[in-house]
Amino acid sequence: MAAHSRGHPAMREREFSPAGTSPYWWIRPCAGPILFLSLLFLFLFLFTAAAASAAAPEEEKFTEELLLRPLPDRKALAHFHFRSSAPPAASVGRHHHLFPKAISQLVKKYHISELELSFTQGRWNYEQWGGFDPMSTNNAKPPGVELWAVFDLPLSEIDATWKNLTHTLSGLFCASINFLESSTAFSAPRWGFKLNEGNLRYGALPREAVCTENLTPWLKLLPCRDKAGIASLLYRPSIYKGYYHSQKLKLRSSQSLGIILDQTLTVVLQPNTVSGEQLHSNHGQLQPNWSMRHLFNRKLSGKCLVSKSSRVFIEVDKGIVDNVNKSGSDLSWSNEFFVLSNSPDKLIKGQNHVEIQSSFLYVYDASNYTEEKPLDVGITWKLPLVWTCTPSPFHASRFLMGSGNERGSIALSFMSTNLHKQISGSPTDCSIKAVIFQVVPWYVKVYYHSLEIFIDGSRKTVSEVVDKIHVIPSEDKLLPGTLEMLLRFPCSMQSGTLTLDFDKGFLHIDEYPPDANQGFDIPSALVSFPEFSSARSYPEIDPVLGSPLLENFQEDSVVKSYTEVLLVPLTTPDFSMPYNVITFTCTVLALYFGSLLNALRRRIGEEERELKKTVVILKKWQLLASILYRKFVDELF
Amino acid sequence: MAFGRRSPGSSRHPPALTIVTALLFAFLSSAAAAASSSTDAMHNNNWAVLVCTSRFWFNYRHMANTLSLYRTVKRLGIPDERIILMLADDMACNPRNSYPAQVFNNENHQLNLYGDNVEVDYRGYEVTVENFLRVLTGRHESAVPRSKRLLSDEGSHILLYMTGHGGDEFLKFQDSEELQSHDLADAVKQMKEKHRFKELLIMVDTCQAATLFSQLQSPGVLAIGSSMKGENSYSHHLDSDIGVSVVDRFTYYTLAFFEKLNMYSNASLNSLFTSYNPSMLMSTAYYRMDLYERPLNEVPVTNFFGSVMKTLHTDSAYTGFLAAHDYETPLSVGDNLDDHFMLKDRATPRRSNIEKEAQLTPHGWTEVLLEQLEGKNTDTVVMYGLGAMGILLALSTWLSM
Repeated sequence: MAAHSRGHPAMREREFSPAGTSPYWWIRPCAGPILFLSLLFLFLFLFTAAAASAAAPEEEKFTEELLLRPLPDRKALAHFHFRSSAPPAASVGRHHHLFPKAISQLVKKYHISELELSFTQGRWNYEQWGGFDPMSTNNAKPPGVELWAVFDLPLSEIDATWKNLTHTLSGLFCASINFLESSTAFSAPRWGFKLNEGNLRYGALPREAVCTENLTPWLKLLPCRDKAGIASLLYRPSIYKGYYHSQKLKLRSSQSLGIILDQTLTVVLQPNTVSGEQLHSNHGQLQPNWSMRHLFNRKLSGKCLVSKSSRVFIEVDKGIVDNVNKSGSDLSWSNEFFVLSNSPDKLIKGQNHVEIQSSFLYVYDASNYTEEKPLDVGITWKLPLVWTCTPSPFHASRFLMGSGNERGSIALSFMSTNLHKQISGSPTDCSIKAVIFQVVPWYVKVYYHSLEIFIDGSRKTVSEVVDKIHVIPSEDKLLPGTLEMLLRFPCSMQSGTLTLDFDKGFLHIDEYPPDANQGFDIPSALVSFPEFSSARSYPEIDPVLGSPLLENFQEDSVVKSYTEVLLVPLTTPDFSMPYNVITFTCTVLALYFGSLLNALRRRIGEEERELKKTVVILKKWQLLASILYRKFVDELF
Repeated sequence: MAFGRRSPGSSRHPPALTIVTALLFAFLSSAAAAASSSTDAMHNNNWAVLVCTSRFWFNYRHMANTLSLYRTVKRLGIPDERIILMLADDMACNPRNSYPAQVFNNENHQLNLYGDNVEVDYRGYEVTVENFLRVLTGRHESAVPRSKRLLSDEGSHILLYMTGHGGDEFLKFQDSEELQSHDLADAVKQMKEKHRFKELLIMVDTCQAATLFSQLQSPGVLAIGSSMKGENSYSHHLDSDIGVSVVDRFTYYTLAFFEKLNMYSNASLNSLFTSYNPSMLMSTAYYRMDLYERPLNEVPVTNFFGSVMKTLHTDSAYTGFLAAHDYETPLSVGDNLDDHFMLKDRATPRRSNIEKEAQLTPHGWTEVLLEQLEGKNTDTVVMYGLGAMGILLALSTWLSM
């Protein structure tokens, strides 16, 4: 090989690229046109600089934010929010600086105008962690994977596009989202989930596992990945240790807006309790103290350099605010109930939609902190504090009734939290609207006519309570059953129950999953209360602050809650049965054909002759033997 | 650069006459060409397909096996996009796992196999015999993303690692399906036909692993199994914190071998094979080498477990496809003496090039022929062909008389 390194370059090329299949083309240095290229780059640079200054707002942006909040049941909530936005495609062409290319290609290829994909482990505890704030309505998601998308396409093309979309997402996020491809797995709700013109598709996989392999590609969409900035706090073992874990990706795209990608991660963690905690006799235990290091095993050392803003919020709930106000002290970062470990850069008051002061936000700017001086913000409690989060108007839960493998019924129960009394006094003749959206797989055959409604124990007719109902009945191996229902409950109702009967279907033997004995999951139902809005407003906030996290909190969204996933045991066949059948039939066939052949092929006459022949031969041998023996004996004696 | 570029059109021959000769030529040499073409490609990329076929928590060790191999091949240089990882269940975030998002293959818990950068391509219910065979043979639905496909070519070395529960000539998938040795052999044969690999190393850690290879018959395939027919493969040790066995013996000793290596070491496959000690494995490792041509003591393990290839150093930029067809251009372009010396040095490689050219010509002919056949003048081609056959027949009858 040494000899080849000399000589004319053209000759070497002839030698080293047999049939043009050489894979080393990228190794070769490009020596020639460097001068020309550099000139070109200079021009390009000048040109782009000019272009950029001309259209300053039209650039890609990235912001990172983290919200930490103590929860009443001694846990802590951490909510990461990353937003990348790309201006309308026409102005930038195909190239991106910060925005993930994979996502923009996805949006363009499938003409998506809205998409949300969430991976969730655990269930949001609506009673303890709140059901009436933006966090629970936007970031509490059903266990497993939930995907919905609104397409900007003619209705006839949507189903096919949805199928391709699920495959692409499954490749992107290392998950089996492609199981949503089959028409038995997704539905097209019209108004129960989100109002649309038939271009929305919804699918859920309640049993999908969520682990680091889903988080890794999600992080790869961020410009700094998890190497710098707020995402560097995501230490896997600590965030997967939590009670609730929901990783979400939300996309919005339009001609005027460009593409906005919101990536959120919501975790509920148990702070590592510091030892030597004293017990207080009157109120029970002190809340556990925590800081970033306790929660994540990491400290925050500065921001991701390309991010436009990088903030950490500590939010204290309305319950704490009320308690502190009652005691007469002000809500500075160091008051008689708690102390924050760092002094905040800013303090923001939040209000809920009825103009009641609801929460306080302490804001820290991550760009003020560095590797040498990392941010490790935390909360230290001085006095025990008991508070509750605002619940949703009704606490919804869903369960199964009946026994046996043949039939059963689904019950949805609503327990009043008496919220309306707190909000609007107590008028007796008011009513509260509730929308139910539920998708049931085809093998759970729901009889929608069997709907029964009980309010405070007494049975009501359907027309008394149901305002509007839309049912897409299931079709065997083709369509899942979809139920959308608008109900009107009297405000005075304490408990209401809806029941629906169903028959359990049979699957084909190939369709059973390997762990069929575990049962089948019915995805969570969604209950929303359209008259209640969870939006917050921040009157003191200056719009220049530009915090997408707070923007999301200000968006008008109805109060929603997801019910539990149902586990329906179905009759599972004895999977060894086919083998038994095969062996059994084979035995019978063998016996039949064996005896038949025996009867047909056997020649008894010939056999007898053979037998005689052998007898004759045997006799001859015997004769011979006896003769020989006699001779032998004679000679001997 | 410029002088050597011959327009591709100039090598086209006028159809009518040449087709006849093309037909004859192709007829005679197609068989030889087909045989030689498959071995022509150079090893230029590496792929790994790592499969854990067992579901349920007590099969933790199978997932740990697979992830250990995943870590090893990644460490030795195969990038994530060239690894197809199939895990039948979720152990890392399983509620029974007291170490969330972590998987260990040793009770000392030194090494978290489920680090921050694991990309699982097929998981859970997706790990089926069907999907496995689809990955191998490349027959996917058009919507399946690239990350879930084995996009290998005739220059690929593929490592196929499987672990799970098996028996005589089968491997169980998810406790509900079986992959039989015939299926595997069939898939490998298809891969060979479709030029999807140059060399394939199949490594199986399961009971009676050797039986899984009994039907293989494609050349370039090397197989290692953890146990012979009638033998079990055992787990190595139990982790009392996790509560289950964490690694199998065969994989454990394979890893012990690889932990000593890095990307640059050239330990041979033979040294890997001899490192298995039956008394430690408690089974007899089985190698099937009769389909493999190269001597094993000359093949570095990084040929399969890493992505290490011969690098050809060149000083000048790559000129693309056409450079390969420049044999006819005069060799000494510059008139300095060096070039004349070069001629001598180049005598041998050039000869081999000419030989290669000779082997490649039939391809050129068949290409021309195919092009003609695809074009509009199919009928004329066929007619000329028949005419030629007739002449040939007449000629041979006349000669034989």
